[in-house]
Order: sequence, then structure tokens, then C-alpha cells
Amino acid sequence: MIEFEATYFDGKSSKAYPVSIVSDGVQVSVWGDEGQALRYLPLHQCVITPPMGNVRRAIKFPDGAQCETDDLKAVADLEEYIGSNQGMKIVNSLEINWKMAVACLGGIIMFVWIFTAYGIPFMAQIATPLIPSVVTEKVSQQALNMLDNNFLQPSQLDLKKAEQISLLFQNLCKEAGGDFNYRIQFRKSPRMGPNAFALPSGIIVMTDELILLAANDNEVRGVMVHEMAHVRHRHGIRSVLQNAGVFLIVSILVGDVTSITSVAATLPTVLVEAGYSRKFEKEADREAGLYFIKKGLNTTDYQSILMRLGKDHAEHPGLSLLSTHPETQERVKYLQSLEISTPPPSPPRSGEG
Amino acid sequence: MNEEHIAQEAVAIPSEPMRYRLEFTGTTEEYFRIWIVNTFLTIITLGIYAAWAKVRTRQYFYAHTGIGGHSFEYLANPTAILKGNLIIGGGFILYTAAGHYHQLAGGIIAVLFSLILPFLFYKTLRFYAHNSAFRNVRFRFSGTLGESYRVFLFLGLLIPLTLGLIFPYWSFRQKKYFFDNFAFGTTKNSFTGSVRTFYNAYFMASMILISILMGVGIVVYFVLQNFPPSEYGSHVFLIAIPIMYAVFLIGSVLIQQYIYARISNYCWEESTLGTIRFQSTLNPWQLIRIRVMNILGILVSCGLLIPWAKIRKTRYILDNLTIITQGGLDNFTAEVGAEEDAVGEAATDFFDLEIGL
Repeated sequence: MIEFEATYFDGKSSKAYPVSIVSDGVQVSVWGDEGQALRYLPLHQCVITPPMGNVRRAIKFPDGAQCETDDLKAVADLEEYIGSNQGMKIVNSLEINWKMAVACLGGIIMFVWIFTAYGIPFMAQIATPLIPSVVTEKVSQQALNMLDNNFLQPSQLDLKKAEQISLLFQNLCKEAGGDFNYRIQFRKSPRMGPNAFALPSGIIVMTDELILLAANDNEVRGVMVHEMAHVRHRHGIRSVLQNAGVFLIVSILVGDVTSITSVAATLPTVLVEAGYSRKFEKEADREAGLYFIKKGLNTTDYQSILMRLGKDHAEHPGLSLLSTHPETQERVKYLQSLEISTPPPSPPRSGEG
Repeated sequence: MNEEHIAQEAVAIPSEPMRYRLEFTGTTEEYFRIWIVNTFLTIITLGIYAAWAKVRTRQYFYAHTGIGGHSFEYLANPTAILKGNLIIGGGFILYTAAGHYHQLAGGIIAVLFSLILPFLFYKTLRFYAHNSAFRNVRFRFSGTLGESYRVFLFLGLLIPLTLGLIFPYWSFRQKKYFFDNFAFGTTKNSFTGSVRTFYNAYFMASMILISILMGVGIVVYFVLQNFPPSEYGSHVFLIAIPIMYAVFLIGSVLIQQYIYARISNYCWEESTLGTIRFQSTLNPWQLIRIRVMNILGILVSCGLLIPWAKIRKTRYILDNLTIITQGGLDNFTAEVGAEEDAVGEAATDFFDLEIGL
């Protein structure tokens, strides 16, 4: 038998009645302070408000009346009989315990780390092929228009040079195969300097400045293979999706913060996004390096154009699509180690037999 | 006849009106744990739990806000809020995707959104009021949808046309929309405020802002006179930008909190809920001090002091609200109303929109 004191509100007015409540686990009865019976009903028709620390709890009747009490032990016993609030009981047991709070803080840090390092890139990779090519095409066109209006001018390469580079590109496309619609476009851009970038639909833009900077065809090829790798691995769309994922996580984390302080929250966002794009650059460098190694060549030409680009951009601060690239030194070192770790192709005629 | 009249009045009005201070009993220790558990569960469920987290947070603050030994109760159903969150989240994704796809499509969605904004504010106020209760009697919001459009859309559009001169009037109408339309059970609040105090508060706030800017200007002038920027080269920005940010931060906190304190005090003072009158005694400077300390604390602790900041601010605001009643708190009657859906609530929360509360 459960018995306890409570305050009764009939739900029709704000008047408070002191009452005592008696329940045998099946029925519940409410008694007024002069011993009159106020209510008698089956316990399972009642709803009990979820537990929260030492907050007063209410037992709600189906017609809108309720009893409030500080006797939390008695309410917990009643709750056992009804079997309600299972989830919130667990939440409450976490909330009243400092050790659990510390564990949750650790859990948040772990989760955010694992999720941004592996979860978001993985999900973006799965979701990317689901985006229809019409959308990719349209988005890329939009982006190119924006760049044309702001940073790019029509190319001033002479026709012969442009044709020669295009031919180089077409041969690379044939070698690469696959059903990607690679296209090359030339632009002049004093503001960006020597630069190249790939749009998700397969458009690869090279600046006149880059072509003039290149000392030989292999240097141009290296840059082209790098950009084609971005297209083939859909790095553009993946980074849009990944950045949306980071936005989601950050907005959950700072959901409670007012707008002034959330300006400070943009810093981690920027760092995480820079980390993602470094990974993509490394992947594209790897493909460019392997392209040469598989042909039995070395990556020296590709390294040297990277170094010249790095030098140029150091003197050219400001807007640059290459500014998210890993440090040039690091990239060159990576290519060198790639050469060592990848066996050169076996010479012809020396088969396994 | 005359004596009888006096005698009747003496019966009707108790000699001493009763004063109840709002008591806030929330503590940083307790709320920190609730907050961290909420954040943890929200993040591992990728935002689904946010609806429960919001209800849990409100329940904590309501349960720890009391008048005369009884506390408030927050009754919203988390699944209603989850539904609202999903609709608004979906709309936001649509907007972002459309913006990537085509700038015009994104623009059209943004215009449509601003057209339904007054509707969302209206829904928010209804949802909020309907799910707040005291002594098992729910609050209610009886403002009309048309008034919401007049205030939030029509007057809002007039602001640029009048070079911002009607901004205090706009703020007045927003407050009036809330204070003149909320009810406790069947007892409606009435608001007798006028626009004058609003103009006064905004005028004083702009005077404060102007004197700060002048002060900063004078300091900058002297610094530049004595240390010409050419000596530092481009590094001068490394110092200048954080300083400008700090000035902007303190300046905006100052005027926001100053206006908030003065207008809140005024709106409560001009409200009458049946036999209840209110008194709010917020001190603008105290409020500014609390806010600046809160922001510093949150920044220094990487956000871990958010619960501390929220408790401190809530305690100061609630501890300064007193209700004065002639007839006691027992005689309010409830009104039965239908459930409200939470789309508006979710929208105003998601986009962190200010409603005139």
C-alpha cells in the first residue's frame, strides 16, 4: 500500500487542495483533508510526469486534474506499477550523477572526433553518387559563371598553344577511360595567378598563367591528372556534403549559444573543412604521382611545378583555390616517398612464367 | 448610504495586497549535468533528441520557478517539437540546395519564408502559452493572425522607408501584441503602456552608443598620433581587428541589455492580469555586467560555462519580478483548449529569431 500527501488541482481553477493519496498498485484514491473521497480510479489511467532530480512530480488524471507531491519515493513506487517513463528514468539517472556527466563530456568529444574524421566523409561518399548528374552539371555551370564574373577573364593564349594543350588533355582522357565527361577550358586570371581547378561536372579550368609557368608537357600533365582525380573521385560534391555535415554538428553543439558567441564557433568549422580538403588534395597528388610512376617515369617534373606554384602563391596572398593545398614541401616529400614505395612497372617481356 | 459603501469596499479589498517574489531555485551544478546529457544524447542521435532536450531544459527552468511555493510546469509534447524540427530542417535543406542549384530559386524560397514568418511567430506564441501552466491552469495566447501580419510584416517593411525612425514604435507594437493578448486560464492580461517610454529607451541607448564610439574614436586618434601605423606595417590589423570586435561586442551588449531592462520593467508595470499587478526591478547596468561576464566565461571555457551563464541570467531576471495580488492566487479559472502544433516554435528556435517577448 502506497500512501502520501499531495496538493490537488482540479484543472478547472487554480485553487490548491491539500490531499492524501492511497494506492494498492491497481486503484488510486484521493482523499480531502476532511476525510472526504475526491477521486477513485484505476492507476493505469494516470500519467506521471518524468523524473528530474528532486523536482516535485505530478500525477495527472484523464480529465485534466492533477496531484503534485514532493514525496518522490512514493511517486517512484507508483511509477513502478504503471511502468511508464522508462526512457526518462535512464536520462534522469545520467543527469543526477557527476561521473556520468563527465563520461558524457568525454563521449561528446569522442563522438565529434570520430564522426568528423570518419563518419561524415563515409556518409558523403555514399550519398554523392545519388546526386543526379543534371544537378552536378547545373551547380558547376553556376560556379563557373560566378568565377567568370569575379575572377576570370577570357583566355589570351595563342591558338596553337591552346590546341596543343587540348590535345594533351584528350590523350589523358583516353588513357583514363571511365564515363566521365572531362572538358578543359582556358581562362586568364591576373587575380588568381597560375592555378587550375576542377568542377564536379568534369570541367577543368586552367589559367593562362599556369600554362606559361609550366616548363614542359609533363608538368602540365601532372596538373591535369591531379584535377581529373578530383573529378573522378567527385571531390567537389563530397566536400559540399561534408561541409554540410560539419555545419550540422556545429549547430547541434552551439545550439544554445547566442549569435555573438557563435562567431567564435566558426573557427573549428574552418579548421575541419581545411582538413577535409587537404585529404582530397593528397589523394589527387597520389594519382598524379602514380600516373608517372606507372609509365616508368619519375615525378620530378610534377614536383617542380608544385614548387613553382607554391613559391608563386606565397608571393600572391589573397584569393587562391590552391591555398587549401598542403604545404608544398610536404607534398613534394609525399611524392618522393610514393616513388620509393611503389615498384616501377616490370619491364616488357619479363613475364611471370 | 455612504457608510455602507465604505464598509462594502473594506470587505472587497483586503487591507494589505500580497506581494510574491518569483523564486528561482535552479542551480548551475544541476543544470550543467542536464545540459551535458542533453548535448550528448542530441549529438549521438544526430539531432533527433533535440526535441526532448528542449522540453527537458524548459521543464527544469519552469519547475525551478515558483510563486508562493508552487512552481510552473512545461507541458509540451516532445514528438510535436520533433515534427516541427523535421519540417523546418527539411525546409532549410531545400533552401540551401536550391541556393546551390539556382540563386533565383533560393531567393524565392527566402521571400516565401519571410512571408510566412508572422504566421510562425503567431504559432510560436500560441504553442508557448498553451504549454505553460501554473497550478494546473494553462496560459493562453489570444492574439490574432492578422495583427501578427500587421506588426511583423507591414510595420517591419515600413522601417527602411522611415529610415528606422519607427523602430521603437515597431518594438512597442511587438510587446503590445504579446502583453495585451496573453491570458492565464480565462483571465486576460491587459496592457496600458504607451510608445513614449520606448522612444525614450531607444534614445538613451543611442546616446550611450554615441558616447562610446566617441570615446573609442578619441583613444584611436591619440594612439595613431603617437604611434603611426607605418611603424607596424600590416601587423596593425592583428591588433586592430580584435579590438574592433571587442568594442562591437561590448557596444551591442550595452544597448541590447539596456533596452531590454528598461522595456521589460515598463511592460510588466503596465500589465494587469485580473487582480494581479507586476513589478519588475531590473537594473540595466547590473544586467550588462552579467551579460558581459557570461560572454567572457563562455568564450574562455570553450562553451562549458553556457549552463552557468544561463542560470545566472535567468536568476537575475526572475528574482527581480514581483507579483502583487489583491485576491490571492486561488481564483483563476482554466479554459479548455485544443492542442497546438509546434512548427512555429521549431522555426523561431531553429533560426534563432527574436520574438517580442
